[in-house]
Amino acid sequence: MSCTERLDAATLADYWLGLLGQGEEEHVEEHIFDCRECSGELAEVQAMAQGVRALARAGSLLMVVSESFLNHARGRGLNIRRYDPPPGGSVQCTVTAEDDLLVGALAANLSAARRLDLSLCDPTGNEQFRLVDIPFDAGSGNILWQQSITFAKAAPTSTMVARLIDVRDSGEETLLGEYTFNHTRTLPGPGAW
Amino acid sequence: MLLIMELTPTELVKRIAGGSDREAEGEFCRMMGPRIRLYGLRHLRDSQSADDLVQQVLITALETLRDGGLREPEKLASFVLGTCRMTVLNQRRGVRRRQQLLDQFGVDMLAPAPSAGPRLDHEKLANCVQGLKERERAVIVMSFYDQETAADVARFLSVSEANVRVIRHRAIHGLRSCMGVAL
Repeated sequence: MSCTERLDAATLADYWLGLLGQGEEEHVEEHIFDCRECSGELAEVQAMAQGVRALARAGSLLMVVSESFLNHARGRGLNIRRYDPPPGGSVQCTVTAEDDLLVGALAANLSAARRLDLSLCDPTGNEQFRLVDIPFDAGSGNILWQQSITFAKAAPTSTMVARLIDVRDSGEETLLGEYTFNHTRTLPGPGAW
Repeated sequence: MLLIMELTPTELVKRIAGGSDREAEGEFCRMMGPRIRLYGLRHLRDSQSADDLVQQVLITALETLRDGGLREPEKLASFVLGTCRMTVLNQRRGVRRRQQLLDQFGVDMLAPAPSAGPRLDHEKLANCVQGLKERERAVIVMSFYDQETAADVARFLSVSEANVRVIRHRAIHGLRSCMGVAL
């Protein structure tokens, strides 16, 4: 029961996600049951899928998320702490031990945006980190940015500035919105990094 | 414990057909148990249900094999897969009979080995997922966590479904490469 033809990991992932047509799915199943190596590969894909789910559930990823992601998390009983600072404005924020996910909703007119970057800066405006070419729905009017809850729970009282930047093909950058998050630490821990 | 290494399906089927070769039966369970469990996880999406399926399918298959009921031994894998499909279809039936058979065959042998699956370095995976491009990460999380349709993911990313597939495949390969899994 060994393989003469290995299934590609992406095909196995598509199988796992139920994205194959019926005929292809049956073919993949026949192969997996007959092949030690590919069943092992599928087990690795399954473990990876489980790991990604655990990461998403833990809220530890810094990323842009969708409304449906938040609805899914709410449906699973997760506590979401969400802040909606106005463009050009600021918000006082914190995170508690009971919070599972931390989200900032960044309102902006995205209708003309081509490529959107999210720049995270210190209070003086120096960029610390940039999320390049983030996914966005031009008609939604906002970006849901998830900060790592692990990071936030460990963070001392501090200020972070988020900037939404439209990047043209020429490289020219246009600021679409700036949002200041004044984080106050309410969990026990160090007062500074 | 005596391990039977690299028996062909035909050899395995012939030995089990005698009805008293517990080592061959054990090897059959070790070989097929993880594959049945994956099938169960894929179709039932629940760990407990997948474990139950492993026991039910192994019981049913062993009954047939002990009785010499598999006419074409080289088709052992297809036979087990077919049993999986039938069992999932009929999974709501026969709870009492299952317990009776569990007693007859023994729970220990039929239980899926907990250490059979690959071990995952969660910290490394976190770094690898965070290291993906933004759109790749979004696709991976939306697919595996939300289990969103390709159409929903495509709408969120403002790209075509075909493009989502390309991004997903690139991300899968990127993750496996980052994790050090051979492609």
